[in-house]
Amino acid sequence: MSAATLIARDELRLLRRNRVAVIATMLLVLLTLVAVATSWAHQRGIADLRDRQQHGAETAFKAQPNRHPHRVVHYGTFIFRPLGPLAAFDPGVDAYTGSSMFLEGHRQNSANFGDVRQSSLLVRFGQLTPAFVLQIVAPLLLIFLGYGALARERERGTLRLLMLQGVSRRSLVGGKLLALGTVALVAGLPAMIGFVAIARQPGALALPMLITAVGYFAYLAWWTVAILLVSATVRRSRDALLALLALVALWAVTTVLLPRVVPGVASAAVPLRNRLQTDVAIARDLRQMGDSHNPADPHFAAFRQSVLDRYGVDRVEDLPVNYKGVVGLEGERLTSSLFARYTSESYAAQEGQIALVDAAGILSPTIAVRALSMAAAGTDFAGHRRFLDQAEAYRYALVQRLNRMQAVHVSYADDAAEDAGADRRKRVSATNWSAMPDFSFARASGSDLARGALPGLAIVLGWLTAATLLLALATRRLGARR
Amino acid sequence: MSLLGHELRLLVRQRLTMVALALLTCLTVAALAAGMAEVARQRAAIAAIPAAQAEDIGAVAAWIDAKKDAGSAAYYSFYPTWDAPAPLAFAALGMRDVSPYILRIRALGLEAQIWDGDTFNPELALPGRFDFAFVLVFLAPLFVIALFHDLRSGEREAGRERMLDALPGGRGLWRRRAGLRLALLCAALAVPFTAAAAMEGVGLGTILAVLVVIVAYLLFWVAVAALVGRLRWSSVANAATLAATWLVLVLIVPTLANVAVNAALPVHQGAEIAMAQREAVNRAWDIPREQTMRRFYARHPEWADSAPLGFAFHYKWYLAFHQNGDESVAPRVRAYRAGLEDRDAAGRALGWVLPSVGVQALLTRLARTDLAAQLAYQDRIRAFHRRLRAFYYGYLFRDRSFAKADFARAPRYEDVPSG
Repeated sequence: MSAATLIARDELRLLRRNRVAVIATMLLVLLTLVAVATSWAHQRGIADLRDRQQHGAETAFKAQPNRHPHRVVHYGTFIFRPLGPLAAFDPGVDAYTGSSMFLEGHRQNSANFGDVRQSSLLVRFGQLTPAFVLQIVAPLLLIFLGYGALARERERGTLRLLMLQGVSRRSLVGGKLLALGTVALVAGLPAMIGFVAIARQPGALALPMLITAVGYFAYLAWWTVAILLVSATVRRSRDALLALLALVALWAVTTVLLPRVVPGVASAAVPLRNRLQTDVAIARDLRQMGDSHNPADPHFAAFRQSVLDRYGVDRVEDLPVNYKGVVGLEGERLTSSLFARYTSESYAAQEGQIALVDAAGILSPTIAVRALSMAAAGTDFAGHRRFLDQAEAYRYALVQRLNRMQAVHVSYADDAAEDAGADRRKRVSATNWSAMPDFSFARASGSDLARGALPGLAIVLGWLTAATLLLALATRRLGARR
Repeated sequence: MSLLGHELRLLVRQRLTMVALALLTCLTVAALAAGMAEVARQRAAIAAIPAAQAEDIGAVAAWIDAKKDAGSAAYYSFYPTWDAPAPLAFAALGMRDVSPYILRIRALGLEAQIWDGDTFNPELALPGRFDFAFVLVFLAPLFVIALFHDLRSGEREAGRERMLDALPGGRGLWRRRAGLRLALLCAALAVPFTAAAAMEGVGLGTILAVLVVIVAYLLFWVAVAALVGRLRWSSVANAATLAATWLVLVLIVPTLANVAVNAALPVHQGAEIAMAQREAVNRAWDIPREQTMRRFYARHPEWADSAPLGFAFHYKWYLAFHQNGDESVAPRVRAYRAGLEDRDAAGRALGWVLPSVGVQALLTRLARTDLAAQLAYQDRIRAFHRRLRAFYYGYLFRDRSFAKADFARAPRYEDVPSG
């Protein structure tokens, strides 16, 4: 048996005898199990609810009576964002973005009813998920168990004794590393049990899960190395105490302080246009492009002429299609092109903010591991945007389908009539509604999710490499006289 | 006095203590600056409303004037509402980053509008804001731990404890030392806060209340440190125990309680309100219009003497069924709101036993950035919407024409001045 393994065994035996250490580890395991169970139940509950509501919305849409197509444009439809299986591990922004969206003509609505506005103030203290436990709680446990690993030996003078007995510095540090690494594995294990349960769900993707596992492994490994590094380098009369205080400060800065400070800086650096200003700007642009209310509007006058020319007639009444539906198509095309322009501006700004936060992963590995974890789970902003983009594409296709229906199936004369029977003549058959395609969310592929998670993984691995190099350097000078 | 001066000199020589105090002061100042910048941004967004609104409503008025149709005016005119931040909002931003503080509404069904959100970046909101409340609730206890964990054990480990206890007035010594450390910590938080609060025009009573909260919260953590100190463990064991206590009280129990509260008090999803309202509104197109009007007049007899409907489309019918739709979901809205209030009350109740939650709840209440403030804003929106409806009904149900000048007669939203 090598010296390193002997030292690791010794360290672990010491930890096992330390009642506080054992209790703390057991509490962490328990907390992780609770987090896995509640997060899993929560995710299942949400997925079922959204599925049920989605079915309800589709049934209601298809059960509509004979209606004028434009009524259906305003009746609209509700869609709900489904959750991927990994959301049980890291729900990311799910509670902060609304989960339901009302899709209708002429308007682009926000996703509403996010959990954050439906919960008590406690939700802002954080959510108990396996990701939360691994990112924030587990490192603190490792600090408590590891701060003294080398500092204590030096404080008590046993460090010199060990070296005199011929234990090399490398095997000493290696042994301590092995011991604390074992604890880290034990701390991470329960979360991995949850991981296996998730992997057996339909739709679970291997590549993002692998990246998540590697990312968290590297993250906890970084903490293990960093703890030993601090424990090896403090040189004061009260070594162990100083190591503990320095590590707790490091933990507070990386896991609690920076993740909050950086977003504040990002939101100040890249301003977002609020909804009111966006709506007013869209209305302004729309007036400039073409105002369908204004009979003398040049755009719509030209459009009308082009439609008349295409069909070779002189009056809209003589068109073979319903001109009102044709104008609806053109109007929706104009408004949607503006929605696309303004939302892509807003998304670009938000992505700029997130890029700033991600860059701050250089300052805090917790920020990097959080980004990687959410990206792999598809619960980051990119995942939400995927939903919003598909929702808008579906909304546009649905509304234009209805406008075409109005152009073809409702005659212009009926559409303009206001006599007693006009209302009945304007309606199209209810059978049309069930022929409409349902919204189905195309999830990101495993490789797309993995690609989103790679930058975070690279940063975490960079941290691990840097800390390991520093530890190697510190090992060489371990026990040297000042 | 000179004894205290000696203690102060001793403290100043401890580099760790001075670094900790300087750091806490810096963090407090940074958090206050961040909060003030955010509130200034919100005020600027509110101040920019009138110009945008004038432009928008002016354009609507220009083409409505040709038709003189009050219904089109009601349909196409959006009116801004806003919830200006209270003076103390900079210290505890609360829900203001995820709930809208500006909302445009029109005289149609309110339930399809009032739940809309504003644009915000969810990834930035997720970790929570860096504001004064965060520094006080989350970070300040760590500084208490740093300064108090070795108050006695440090002297014991240096072999001076027995001697110090044997001195005349030995008890007073520990009290002096603890008091001095507490006073310095309080000053690091309270002095920058008071300066910022004075700059923001916070009322004296509110400032005093926050100062009491600061002292009480720090005292709680000093008491925890003293309790742990009585166990006569080593400084290292004290520090580890206190940090673990902090983790449990500030992070773990609140997150566990959040799970428990949301499980124990289920709230019917708000989406169901929106779906039910839309079903009720759209059904009006498929039922006899007189049925809609009868129902509307039964609840609003003041308009019942309006002329009967003809065959042609009339906006009074349109607005009537929108209001009927709102009224049909009123019980659901009440239940939803009661559910939110129950959850909020449960969270606040936890504040009585958990100081971290209690302080957060108190600060967001004083700063009017909590759920109650959100709901009060919704109430103001509802009251304004009622006035908006009554205004347009006055034209539609009396068949009065609506000209450009009438836009200026529309009710204006007025935010309540909050002090």
